[in-house]
Amino acid sequence: MPGDHRRIRGPEESQPPQLYAADEDEAPAARDPTRLRPVYARAGLLSQAKGSAYLEAGGTKVLCAVSGPRQAEGSERGGGPAGAGGEAPAALRGRLLCDFRRAPFAGRRRRAPPGGGEERELALALQEALEPAVRLGRYPRAQLEVSALLLEDGGSALAAALTAAALALADAGVEMYDLVVGCGLSRTPEPTPTWLLDPTRLEEEHAAAGLTVALMPVLNQVAGLLGSGEGGPTESWAEAVRLGLEGCQRLYPVLQQCLVRAARRRGAAAQS
Amino acid sequence: MASVALSEAEKVYIVHGVQDLRVDGRGCEDYRCVEVETDVVSNTSGSARVKLGHTDILVGVKAEMGTPKLEKPNEGYLEFFVDCSANATPEFEGRGGDDLGTEIANTLYRIFNNKSSVDLKSLCISPREHCWILYVDVLLLECDGNLFDTICIAVKAALFNTRIPRVRVLEDEEGSKDIELSDDPYDCIRLSVENVPCIVTLCKIGYRHVVDATLQEEACSLASLLVSVTSAGVVTCMRKVGKGSLDPESIFEMMETGKRVGKVLHASLQSVLHKEESLGPKRQKVGFLG
Repeated sequence: MPGDHRRIRGPEESQPPQLYAADEDEAPAARDPTRLRPVYARAGLLSQAKGSAYLEAGGTKVLCAVSGPRQAEGSERGGGPAGAGGEAPAALRGRLLCDFRRAPFAGRRRRAPPGGGEERELALALQEALEPAVRLGRYPRAQLEVSALLLEDGGSALAAALTAAALALADAGVEMYDLVVGCGLSRTPEPTPTWLLDPTRLEEEHAAAGLTVALMPVLNQVAGLLGSGEGGPTESWAEAVRLGLEGCQRLYPVLQQCLVRAARRRGAAAQS
Repeated sequence: MASVALSEAEKVYIVHGVQDLRVDGRGCEDYRCVEVETDVVSNTSGSARVKLGHTDILVGVKAEMGTPKLEKPNEGYLEFFVDCSANATPEFEGRGGDDLGTEIANTLYRIFNNKSSVDLKSLCISPREHCWILYVDVLLLECDGNLFDTICIAVKAALFNTRIPRVRVLEDEEGSKDIELSDDPYDCIRLSVENVPCIVTLCKIGYRHVVDATLQEEACSLASLLVSVTSAGVVTCMRKVGKGSLDPESIFEMMETGKRVGKVLHASLQSVLHKEESLGPKRQKVGFLG
């Protein structure tokens, strides 16, 4: 038989052995519903990207890089209709392209890189949350590319990616109205439904509903909102949104300090 | 989405007018006239066509047998596919409509992602081996604003109309299983759509929010909130759409409005669907000729 010169691939579908094991699910431990996990944030760590940020919260690790502004493809079309609110015409305004990727080893099961629908949805959510904060009118006919890479999913992955992306944009020197801070929430199932702030992966798996909120803290405007599941009546969702906004406000000082440290580091490197 | 060219004066007119009355005379919580018809395509297990103003959606549901997912061996599942046809607007030519189609399909997956929307256990034939997979295919024929609401109404009507043939699993002495289809073509199982949610999109225009925005109103709005409500007032999905940001207080107001409007929408849709079914198989089908 002639040798296989292409890379030998494994079986089409494979599963981790845990799926066949007996159901010994540990229930997540009870905890204070408003606790936020300690966050480690660092900006300006990638040398090849215009701006970058790394965020670690509990077991969730996200790396985000920003490149641009560079000339947008298809920008040869002339002026289009003016946008709502009297901004520059749509074709002249800058574009923000977001990409969200999960590393194949990020979750419990291996997921091959073209992740399909879920990654496109999260990339769209990133874009919708970051657009209100970036002054795209200052970058006519240009595009900014934001790419977020999730290295490990320990719960509230989208919220961490949002925060890291905003830090990376700020580190790149892109003009913004305000930082965007993201916070995840999940609701415990039926017997005692409570909303938990910043859930871990185990709590998210056992949850009946999940919500991610993105806030611009100084302007107090909600930049992004994405939630689904059996959350119950609107009062319950309203309570969850309030809890999330509070969590975002509490996270803001950490991000400010991170940006100040990055600026100092850059200043010291420029001098030497 | 399809875009429309509006002058500054038209925008100001719409934004100021919304405080009291919209351009076509509706109030802020009124829907345009909706036409729903089910069973329009004969090759499907269920189908529906919905026209809301000039927005036209056709949904076909096909039930096929397959293997259940590994994590949920006792349940069937739904697969959504949204096709934005180039007939709707010239922007959707070629691959142009793909992004919008994926966005709508992902939203539909999210809405149906919870246990209570559709009874998935009734779609199971034999655990771990066979189950019904419902392929819900949405076709966008014409686009005049408010796509999400119309698509969800059409999906609910199509699921109400779906008839899945009854099958029996026969086991031989050797243990090999055989699937037998019932002889009577009218012997089928119907899905209960009591808990299927409906989407209400609330667009923020100026200081007010409106339900069922036309294309022109959507062009004046910076941000919208998409709420998916069941007939009992339970919210299953919430999403902010658009380039702008929303005030926390307006989000709470919009959720309340969405719940109120959603309940009314559900009640009228249920009554129309039951009335149409009571007309029986002899009813005059309008289809695309009306």
